[in-house]
Amino acid sequence: MIALDPAEKKRPEFIKVRVKRQDGPGKDPYWQLFQIKYEPELNIISVLQRIAALATTSDGKKVAPVAWDCGCLEEVCGSCTMQINGRVRQSCSALVDRLLEENDDELVLEPMSKFPVIRDLIVDRKRLFRALQRVKAWVPVDSYYDMGSGERQLRSTQEQNYPLSQCMSCGCCLDACPQYGKIELEQREGESDEAFQARELEAFDEGFVGPHAISQAMLFNNHPTGKALAGERLDALTGPGGIQVCGNAQNCVSVCPKEIPLTTSIARAGRATTVHMIKKWFDR
Amino acid sequence: MSDSSHEPSFFLKHEFAIRRLHSLLGIIPLGLYMVVHLTTNASLLNGPETFQRAVYLIHSPGKLLPLIEWGFIFLPLIFHAGIGIWITKNAHLNSGKYQFTSNRRYSWQRWTGIIALVYLFLHIMHLHGGFHAEWWLAAIDRFGLGQFRPYNAGSSLVLAMNLGYGIVWPVIYLLGVLSLVYHFINGLWTAGITWGLWISPQAQARATKVCVVLGAILTVISLSAWAAAVFPSDADAVEMRAVEDRMYEAGVESGMVPEMEEKRWHDSSEIEEEIEIEENVQVSRGQEAPAA
Amino acid sequence: MAKKRVVVVGGGLAGLSSTMKLAELGIEVDLISLTPVKRSHSVCAQGGINSCNDQTRQLGDDEWKHFDDTVYGGDFLNHQPPVKEMAYWAPKVIDLMDRLGVPFNRTGEGFIDRRRFGGTLYKRTAFAGATTGQQLLYALDEQVRRREAEGMVRKFEFWDFLGPIQDASGRCRGVVAQDMVSMEIRAFPADAVVVATGGCGLVYGRSTMSVFCTGSAASRCFQAGAKYANGEFIQVHPTAIPGSDKLRLMSESARGEGGRVWVPRKPHDSRAPRDIPDSERYYFLEERYPEYGNLVPRDIATREIFDICVNDGLSVDPERMCVYLDLTHIPKAELDRKLGGILEIYEKFQGVDPRVEPMRIFPAVHYSMGGLWADYVRSHDGGLEPGAPRNHMTNIEGLYAIGECDYHYHGANRLGANSLLSCIFTGLFTGPSISNYIESQSEGFEDVEASVLSDAVSKQQQRHDHLLSANPDSDENPYLIHQELGDVMTRAATVVRKNDQLQNAIATVNELHERAMKVNLSDTGSWSNQNVIFAKSLQDMFPIAKTILQGALQRDECRGAHFKPNFQKPSLTAEDPAERRRQAEEWCDAFEANNAKYLKSTIAEYDCSTMQPKLSYEDVDTSLIPPRPRLYGLVGADIIEEVWKERAKAKKDGRDLAESTS
Ligand SMILES: Cc1cc2nc3c(=O)[nH]c(=O)nc-3n(C[C@H](O)[C@H](O)[C@H](O)COP(=O)(O)OP(=O)(O)OC[C@H]3O[C@@H](n4cnc5c(N)ncnc54)[C@H](O)[C@@H]3O)c2cc1C
Ligand code: HEM
Ligand code: HEM
Ligand code: SF4
Ligand code: F3S
Ligand code: FES
Repeated sequence: MIALDPAEKKRPEFIKVRVKRQDGPGKDPYWQLFQIKYEPELNIISVLQRIAALATTSDGKKVAPVAWDCGCLEEVCGSCTMQINGRVRQSCSALVDRLLEENDDELVLEPMSKFPVIRDLIVDRKRLFRALQRVKAWVPVDSYYDMGSGERQLRSTQEQNYPLSQCMSCGCCLDACPQYGKIELEQREGESDEAFQARELEAFDEGFVGPHAISQAMLFNNHPTGKALAGERLDALTGPGGIQVCGNAQNCVSVCPKEIPLTTSIARAGRATTVHMIKKWFDR
Repeated sequence: MSDSSHEPSFFLKHEFAIRRLHSLLGIIPLGLYMVVHLTTNASLLNGPETFQRAVYLIHSPGKLLPLIEWGFIFLPLIFHAGIGIWITKNAHLNSGKYQFTSNRRYSWQRWTGIIALVYLFLHIMHLHGGFHAEWWLAAIDRFGLGQFRPYNAGSSLVLAMNLGYGIVWPVIYLLGVLSLVYHFINGLWTAGITWGLWISPQAQARATKVCVVLGAILTVISLSAWAAAVFPSDADAVEMRAVEDRMYEAGVESGMVPEMEEKRWHDSSEIEEEIEIEENVQVSRGQEAPAA
Repeated sequence: MAKKRVVVVGGGLAGLSSTMKLAELGIEVDLISLTPVKRSHSVCAQGGINSCNDQTRQLGDDEWKHFDDTVYGGDFLNHQPPVKEMAYWAPKVIDLMDRLGVPFNRTGEGFIDRRRFGGTLYKRTAFAGATTGQQLLYALDEQVRRREAEGMVRKFEFWDFLGPIQDASGRCRGVVAQDMVSMEIRAFPADAVVVATGGCGLVYGRSTMSVFCTGSAASRCFQAGAKYANGEFIQVHPTAIPGSDKLRLMSESARGEGGRVWVPRKPHDSRAPRDIPDSERYYFLEERYPEYGNLVPRDIATREIFDICVNDGLSVDPERMCVYLDLTHIPKAELDRKLGGILEIYEKFQGVDPRVEPMRIFPAVHYSMGGLWADYVRSHDGGLEPGAPRNHMTNIEGLYAIGECDYHYHGANRLGANSLLSCIFTGLFTGPSISNYIESQSEGFEDVEASVLSDAVSKQQQRHDHLLSANPDSDENPYLIHQELGDVMTRAATVVRKNDQLQNAIATVNELHERAMKVNLSDTGSWSNQNVIFAKSLQDMFPIAKTILQGALQRDECRGAHFKPNFQKPSLTAEDPAERRRQAEEWCDAFEANNAKYLKSTIAEYDCSTMQPKLSYEDVDTSLIPPRPRLYGLVGADIIEEVWKERAKAKKDGRDLAESTS
């Protein structure tokens, strides 16, 4: 692609940005339209920064700045996920010029659809991290003392594992997965924070673990020491909300900003659980 | 991992096994049955004799037939369909938003499942009749249902298709059959991932190609079956019936075909007469054998 | 033994390694972070992590040389015992990270592969693709998650650390933090507190750092009485992509593979770059340094690019400062083969293909060598005493500082791939120290007086409420003030520093600080109010900004990243050997005199009543490797080096003699 030459390509003077807002959990969402000056090389983060500094809608009403989440601004931290023009993605790598090519009318920003909204574009992704606990996504080393190096690993193993290890827990794959449902609980009257959290975890643990966690399970099952927990991870994957929930829609792999081979992991997990299940039946 | 004593429901606890069973049943026996069934039906193209012979073969287990029918078709179907509906209900279809091919295929798998449900209900009512209580059959016969007669296989099928101006049923069948072919073939592909047969994207792409070929073959077969049942006219059916009747008589004579009048074609008035006359038959008809 | 609990603030490499080590030692940890720890800034690190290794050892490398490279790179401003300890730990750190599952790149035989990084002759740097920081962070994150599942760690993510809690004796007894969702402010009592909150790039507006790197946490400790050291040492990377939201790192290899740096001779030439003929292009690096061309060392490239834009006004873009880094003369196939990965980054974020269109780049603030002052206990062999409670403790008892937010290890300039090491090392090494400190105390976290906790909370609550309501008539907008602060700091206190500019900047920053104290917020709500959180961190940027400026102003020399052209040591001018020798002697005298005056840590203490830092200076422990001049690119370097070596030898002989006679 060649640079967008302002002289050649007509660019609007202003960009309309429609934002789906929500003041808090359980509140009704509503839409607001903002207008900012067009500049070349904007991304959605800078658009939101402009809106935050402006804090005025297109019809001049003063409003609270739109709340959103971001971190690295270079697509490695996973913070800034949202739906842009109806598609879930990282907003730091979403370039306005490209988006305007798709739809030159306006930019539409919405929070992720499968996670409870905290405010505006910020969602609560605790469940995503909880899934990593469910599949024990870690290497169970004895200690953090100096015990010499780890086992030698072939380059091919590294090359298989490295891509999986790049998962930044952004949740794009989950948001696009038609088998992944939203779990949003409300704290009951008189319920303590602890009780509520416990209830929430229970609900999470019955929901779909999600492709990212399946992939992490495969990553650690392919590690010389990580293997030690292979059986437990497969138990988790065959438990409630395990791999069986996947219906092979394969959106996950299509939207993953890190291009992680999720469906390959899912198929590998399919085979591993098949073998695991048969073994368990006969070894009982 | 859960910190409390909360127990997941039976269904959740065994979800993995249930889903794997669902997947397995979709292929064996259901998918297999469908292939055989469609091939048998397609054999009508070769003339009523071929078809009738096949039906005789299928009906040869006699009293065991209902057992096979229930064990290998109806129960698996009910299980697969029930779980399938539950799965579909819990899906959040989004192929409008994410128009990737695989996602569309995923959505279609669900839509065709639902179509299959409706179609199979109509189809079984239409030809088989569902329950075999005489009063029921007599009642639905007025609506043109329960029309198939195994010992007049080809002709009763053709006549049944021609009911309703000869257009309603053919359209339903075409839609249903094509949906089911898609559902089965795409299901075969997803099952390969579910069970871990094809793993890499390359392998999955190759599997897609194989499935497309299988799908094409099955489509030809199913269209043949459809055409064989749809194209002949009522007059053709009368000719077929003559052939079938001859085969029946010869068969009964040689002892190859058990004498079972109820598996033959009669005028509806005749049936009503029979009900009054032959009490015993009523009882045995309750568990009728399947057709092809 | 009673339960022990430590609060760790910050979940980057330093905070996570500390957390996991403490949990292993049986100490419960409350881990507080602005962001889910897995999203901490450490994920951005690309290059790698250093250690001497079996391969380099056989080429003559050892831990001592790694140590030497580090202090030489840091222009001897680093206290040597901690650096020595780190260098000797480095191989163990890599081994541990390997065991934890970091997918380091492998050789054909399955060993960890290494690459060479700036500032050394050896291939010391282990790496995991182009995302080493991410991979290291994830491995630690996984261990912490494991401890969390065991119940040893509680995470408080989306919590803003507001300040340490101190009892009447001054000992740190916990922290106050605020839930950024519900806005609840609460106390976290603890036996000890570890601050591992990373760098302060946001003081410069935009930098290569994450948006979390506000330095606010360090500043809050600073304002509570902790000392801040070497603030003026800020590393600037020569080539970054100047986005309107962030300055993203562009690897040096682009120049290595033949990239040419230029600007149009005509200021703000509006023509497309490819339409500007060669004669109207100013290849300033090639013209000014015919010998090195575009491959001048990092700091020189940085200064020249800066100079072209700031002083000569030749920036390519009228709105933003940047120059062209041109690769378009190189065949595409070759570019893809050699630089594919980094060109894709450029394309992804700029939407422009650098194979067709020159890249726009500009130096960017990258790392803060300075940070919270922390103590250490020297061991008999010149390293750190393992388990000594004072290792990495700030001057506030019970408050520890580790990682990028402490000031050890990197002196006046950080060596590439050493920072990840220092973060993990400090986290691991301080575990036993903290544990021993806790054992030595008679009162634990459960014994903190309720009033101490509630006072600390109500103080923060007041600050919070005040911000929401106190300035209804003001029209000060925190985001705009932040932009101004960033501009001032970037102009005055990055690459080239001049005293008049620094003085002006101090005046402006003082003014901005006052304005920032009366911002009017457009969001006064009490539910995930990012406006007020940002306003607080903005206000807390000023103590650090002032410390940087003041430190830079008072340091009249060039050292590492701190460059003042007016105090540059001259090259030798004489042609005659004897005269040249004399000049070299003079040069060395001047160098020694300068070291006597400035080879000292700048120590800042904050006076909350005047809102100004007070500076003092502290000697640096250079007992292991005597300082020597860094002479890269200087005319007459060879002779200066000769003189310096003779002197060093004479000194050493003198010392040896004194030792043998005594
Ligand atoms: C682009 C880039 C590339 C780099 N590449 C390399 C490299 O190749 N090799 C190398 O050695 N180094 C590299 N570095 C430097 C290195 O990445 C950092 O120095 C290091 O990651 C710092 O780690 P840390 O643990 O100290 O802090 P961080 O990772 O910055 O973590 C800080 C933590 O503190 C928390 N925090 C901050 N403020 C608060 C608050 N007020 N309340 C609560 N929590 C708070 C944050 O949430 C975060 O969890 C690079 C740096 C950059 C910018
Ligand atoms: C053109 C297409 C088809 C024709 C002509 C056809 C014809 C028939 C006939 C004649 C019967 C016998 C009814 C009876 O015994 O009373 C039957 C039953 C049945 N058909 Fe089909 N069929 C077709 C497609 C399908 C398809 C695609 C399926 C899907 C699996 C299907 C499933 C069944 C089932 C489950 C029964 C009842 C089984 C039984 O009676 O034992 N049919 N069909
Ligand atoms: C009668 C109504 C039916 C419904 C509602 C239905 C529904 C479904 C659904 C929702 C799926 C997706 C399962 C998943 O993604 O996990 C599925 C899969 C499948 N179905 Fe059906 N189905 C029906 C009938 C049939 C029939 C008659 C056949 C055989 C011809 C069949 C064969 C399959 C196969 C092979 C799969 C693939 C299983 C897998 O992915 O592992 N289905 N069905
Ligand atoms: S797998 Fe990809 S999309 Fe999913 S969380 Fe990880 S990085 Fe994001
Ligand atoms: S999108 Fe969802 S259904 Fe499976 S293949 Fe991916 S997890
Ligand atoms: S801000 Fe880190 S991924 Fe976008």
